[in-house]
Amino acid sequence: MPTSTKKAARTQISSSAGAPPPQPRMTEDWLAVCIGLFVFLVSLALLFRVDLLGWATTISVWTVPGKSLAPASAAYAKVPHLISLLGTFAFLLVVLAFGARALRISVGRFVQKFTVIFALSYVCWWLGSWAYIAATPDKRHALGVGWSLNLTNESGYIIALLAGLVVANFLPGVTGWMQEALRPELYIKSAIVLLGGFLGITALSQQRLASTIVMQGVCAIVCAYLIFWPVVYYVARRWFGFSREWAAPLASGISICGVSAAIATGSAIRARPVVPVMVSSLVVVFSVVEILVLPFVAGHYLYSQPLVAGAWMSLAVKTDGAAVASGAIADSLVHARALGAGLQFQPGWTLGVATTVKVFIDIFIGVWAFVLAWVWSAKIERRNEQVRARQIWERFPKFILGYVATFLLVLILGALFPDLVPRIKSAMGEANIFRTLFFVLTFFAIGAVSNFRRLWQEGIAKLAGVYVLCLFGFIIWVGLLISWLFFHGVLPPTVKG
Amino acid sequence: MPEPKLSEELKRMEEEYEPLLPVEWKLISYTFTAGVVLLVVLVVVSRLFI
Repeated sequence: MPTSTKKAARTQISSSAGAPPPQPRMTEDWLAVCIGLFVFLVSLALLFRVDLLGWATTISVWTVPGKSLAPASAAYAKVPHLISLLGTFAFLLVVLAFGARALRISVGRFVQKFTVIFALSYVCWWLGSWAYIAATPDKRHALGVGWSLNLTNESGYIIALLAGLVVANFLPGVTGWMQEALRPELYIKSAIVLLGGFLGITALSQQRLASTIVMQGVCAIVCAYLIFWPVVYYVARRWFGFSREWAAPLASGISICGVSAAIATGSAIRARPVVPVMVSSLVVVFSVVEILVLPFVAGHYLYSQPLVAGAWMSLAVKTDGAAVASGAIADSLVHARALGAGLQFQPGWTLGVATTVKVFIDIFIGVWAFVLAWVWSAKIERRNEQVRARQIWERFPKFILGYVATFLLVLILGALFPDLVPRIKSAMGEANIFRTLFFVLTFFAIGAVSNFRRLWQEGIAKLAGVYVLCLFGFIIWVGLLISWLFFHGVLPPTVKG
Repeated sequence: MPEPKLSEELKRMEEEYEPLLPVEWKLISYTFTAGVVLLVVLVVVSRLFI
């Protein structure tokens, strides 16, 4: 999310409440870049034959609980798994504690709360990796299970989301207590920075396909949002009678990229802070519904077109966290179902497309907010003030710079030094463990900030009406059509053997 | 200034409807048309050249 606008909104809210909070040393966007780049660079020590992250523990699909955890690198195979797990937690805790300090959050309080969130999220991930839930058809025999739900170990994300929802809606006191460490945007942005390196190594072997995805992705989002925004704005204004102040952030929130777009638009048209904040709450709630439904629909019907599935997730599911997370789940489900149909696609491409398209959507937000700021200033409110191009940069989501940096660095390193590619792959594999952890934390946090009851009590039903009508009646289907038009027939490489 | 409650906001909007201005009509129609035209052009271009 463009944190400058989010920060402005928060500042306005708090100033109206009385006591302004201390100014953070850096925005959440830049912090995500720092965290992601730090983990990425530490993993790259492997290029100099120094394995600094090999002890990080990951969870495999399991039938015997004792065999579920394992360190990333064989070099650390003798380290007791519990120590490896505690090390993984401690590493993440220290990195994020520095982050909390940069955000001027009490480090002591953050540590307590993050510890609880980490523990709950990790248990969810672990449960989701149980063979009867996660095993794909090709692995059942090896694992000794006769059946499974075929949900892959990404189902841990869904369990984390549901656990978060239970906490938010049935234990609101606990949610309030955890507030300082419930930071879905920070977690997902850090994950996206790490994802850049992982996708870079995937793209290295398929440079032509990767460039096609970038081109098609840009085309898809420009068309999608020039069609989505005016339709949602019209529906909100004419059919539901919303004022301009509400209709514009609502249109951006529903049609472009949820929270980021609603806040950027609210700031561009000078809406009161309550407007984008309320729209953002609605967006998060609906993104939860979408995560629970759309990846499964994509996995079932689009398994032969993994890139269409990825593009669809990012065009239909709002907010960075939910969209990329949906891409991750769809990736696993598409892969598993394709395997069952005899199609051995290389995994990771559905997630890659979802992330790439989402990144361009985030860039588009700044441009669109600039256009709206000009229209409102010069034509609607006639404020007679100059709208500066600098506003595009101010609203630019900075974490994208981290994503592009890790993506390009891996791509360039691999292209210049082909001998290093196996070590880069191993390094990205180790960094990927932390990316997955950030994903699980994101899912739990998204669930935990989605208090359906509170929104209903606040009279959100009419706003939700616009959302339901536009999202389920129009955006999901037009998004699918556009994804199909641009990505149909563009297939990921297959795995030989 | 205290933050307004959403329910009060919605009630106020029902009482004081803001009609669509000509410039809003233009924004809606131009943007939508640009989206549809670009969709057709870019699909053709991407199928032919990418």
